Amino acid sequence: MSTLVYMKMLERTPEKYDRGMRLLTLGRIDRIKREIASTWVGPGQDVLEIGCGTGTLAALMTARGARVVGIDISEAMLAIAGRNAPEAELIRMTASEIDALGEDRFDRIVATLSLGELSEDELDFVLRASSVLLKAGGKLVVADEAPAPTWGKRLFARLVRWPAAALTFVLTRNTTHALKRFEERLGRAGFRVVCRRDYLFGTLALFVMEKV
Amino acid sequence: MWNLLKDFWLLFGRLFPFPTKPGLRPVGNPGRSSPVLVTCNFELTVRKVVQTLTRDGIDAWLLVAPTKGINVWCAAGGGHFTTDTVVSALKTSGVENRVDHRELILPQLSATGVNVWALKKRTGWEPRFGPVDIKHLAAYLGGGESSVARAYRHVRFELPDRIVMGTNLGFSSLLFLALPLLVVSIWVRGLFWISVPLVFSLAMLNSVLVFWLPGKPGVQKGFSLGLMVSAAFVVVSQAIWGLGGWQTVGWTGWIVLVATYLGYDMPGWSPLWRADVKELALGVKRTRIAIVPQRCVGCGLCRIVCPANVFARDAETEKATVVNHDACQACGACLENCPAEAIETNFRSGHCSCPACAAIHAARSFGQPADGQKEPGTETATSSHCCDSKTCAAPDAATSTVKP
Ligand SMILES: C[S@@+](CC[C@H](N)C(=O)[O-])C[C@H]1O[C@@H](n2cnc3c(N)ncnc32)[C@H](O)[C@@H]1O
Ligand code: SF4
Ligand code: SF4
Repeated sequence: MSTLVYMKMLERTPEKYDRGMRLLTLGRIDRIKREIASTWVGPGQDVLEIGCGTGTLAALMTARGARVVGIDISEAMLAIAGRNAPEAELIRMTASEIDALGEDRFDRIVATLSLGELSEDELDFVLRASSVLLKAGGKLVVADEAPAPTWGKRLFARLVRWPAAALTFVLTRNTTHALKRFEERLGRAGFRVVCRRDYLFGTLALFVMEKV
Repeated sequence: MWNLLKDFWLLFGRLFPFPTKPGLRPVGNPGRSSPVLVTCNFELTVRKVVQTLTRDGIDAWLLVAPTKGINVWCAAGGGHFTTDTVVSALKTSGVENRVDHRELILPQLSATGVNVWALKKRTGWEPRFGPVDIKHLAAYLGGGESSVARAYRHVRFELPDRIVMGTNLGFSSLLFLALPLLVVSIWVRGLFWISVPLVFSLAMLNSVLVFWLPGKPGVQKGFSLGLMVSAAFVVVSQAIWGLGGWQTVGWTGWIVLVATYLGYDMPGWSPLWRADVKELALGVKRTRIAIVPQRCVGCGLCRIVCPANVFARDAETEKATVVNHDACQACGACLENCPAEAIETNFRSGHCSCPACAAIHAARSFGQPADGQKEPGTETATSSHCCDSKTCAAPDAATSTVKP
């Protein structure tokens, strides 16, 4: 019996995933994706999306006329992305293999809610590899959970986020993880933040970076 | 002090992930030719691995892979300790700059998720599966595969593990039963307060005595235990407490019921049996496994990865044969690693024997009859791994013994 109860508790599917992210970010993630596609990605650009998931952002970007390569570790996610964004080129690989994609190849590298899933070593590696993959003047665009900038906000954010995270987990078995000391890592990998936009009391942030 | 608290929690809460920081750690004083060992980032596992290596005086590089805080076996079965995980850890940890060789020792029980052929192709490293238990690593390092006694490749369920799993079974069962019991206590006075210790002790007995109870694992063993405990109860209640007739009958029935239920639930917590509803309720073995001799190339890897000693080597043909059919627990390690697709089963892919994974599989095959190709007893794996859950941590007894 504990088996059957756990079953419901543990089941995680790509379908539930989208619902989970929408709930956890109180719908902000959809808005952020639209903003990325319309403001930071343009027609004719070569874009790499890391952890493209179900392909919602990839679809917005191909609709804008960008050439999108989406990578994800999950076969199940990519199967759905193939339906949502048929024009994107989808590759199954882990983020730590993007260095195999070449050099000076992309105008934009985007990642929404996926870098937070990486370990610290992996995150450093992916940032360094991104810097190699980007053309001169290219941009790295990341939206993810981030620690709020001040401790007062952090406390407040916790109070808001914990119930939302608990509810999301119960309903969809999904959660996100905050990027750890992100700006420090960016600096080490040779990036400079040109724009940061905060959502939900600074717990969700959109970073736009350039190579220094 | 902190470790003591953690140990106490793990006595009850094995089911939950307990992450420690992934990355490369030196153990002892490793150099450029020291062995590289991979393990999960379940806190308890890493701690035991480091302790054992230190005790045995082994200098090594320990590559703690990001497995979401889940133990080796469950993470491998649950898709969190896969070929991708190891590829990523090798590339990002900096280990390639620390050693001159490219030999990698993986925990045997990661074989459910890690395919050594693919790993080699993608990274250039030479992976091998070490023993199940880290305490046999010293012997393994000394003499390679031949020095690892066959017995070291079996997963066992020894007394300390049975005690830990008994507490976990009792604790988790109470989580589910507490509320219904409280409600029923409104009408049946004292039910709750008597049932809590009853559930816990019957869970312990089911787990500790599992090899000695008569019957097949599952309902049968639980029922045997129920009969024995209630017999003792009848004697004591009549001779000492002088309990009334109906009350005795009622409590006796309750004891048998609870013991049978816990007996049914117990195998899912063990590393030896899988939590297959029909198998445990009816006592019939449903897993089928066979070698196709025409395809087998005799590499011997299936014998190395199998935790249940299912295979042997045919002395004449040097190919694998199935010698221990009913011990198979459908972990999928042999399927993942056979280079010749020479192993045929009626289950599609690996899953650990933990309750969560098994139940997910059971529910999937009940829930999707439209998928076709299903004969009775055929698993429907919709993905290549069982549960994709962060919570599927360590419900197998193997956690305390299973290090790389
Ligand atoms: C939280 S989802 C975000 C998906 C999508 N970007 C969005 O915002 O809707 C995280 C995604 O990252 C993928 N992912 C996780 N770890 C990864 C890794 N190491 N390499 C590549 N993709 C990964 C997961 O499969 C999942 O699709
Ligand atoms: S024979 Fe069964 S128990 Fe042994 S490795 Fe294969 S699936 Fe696992
Ligand atoms: S069955 Fe597969 S893994 Fe086993 S010896 Fe034959 S080829 Fe190797």
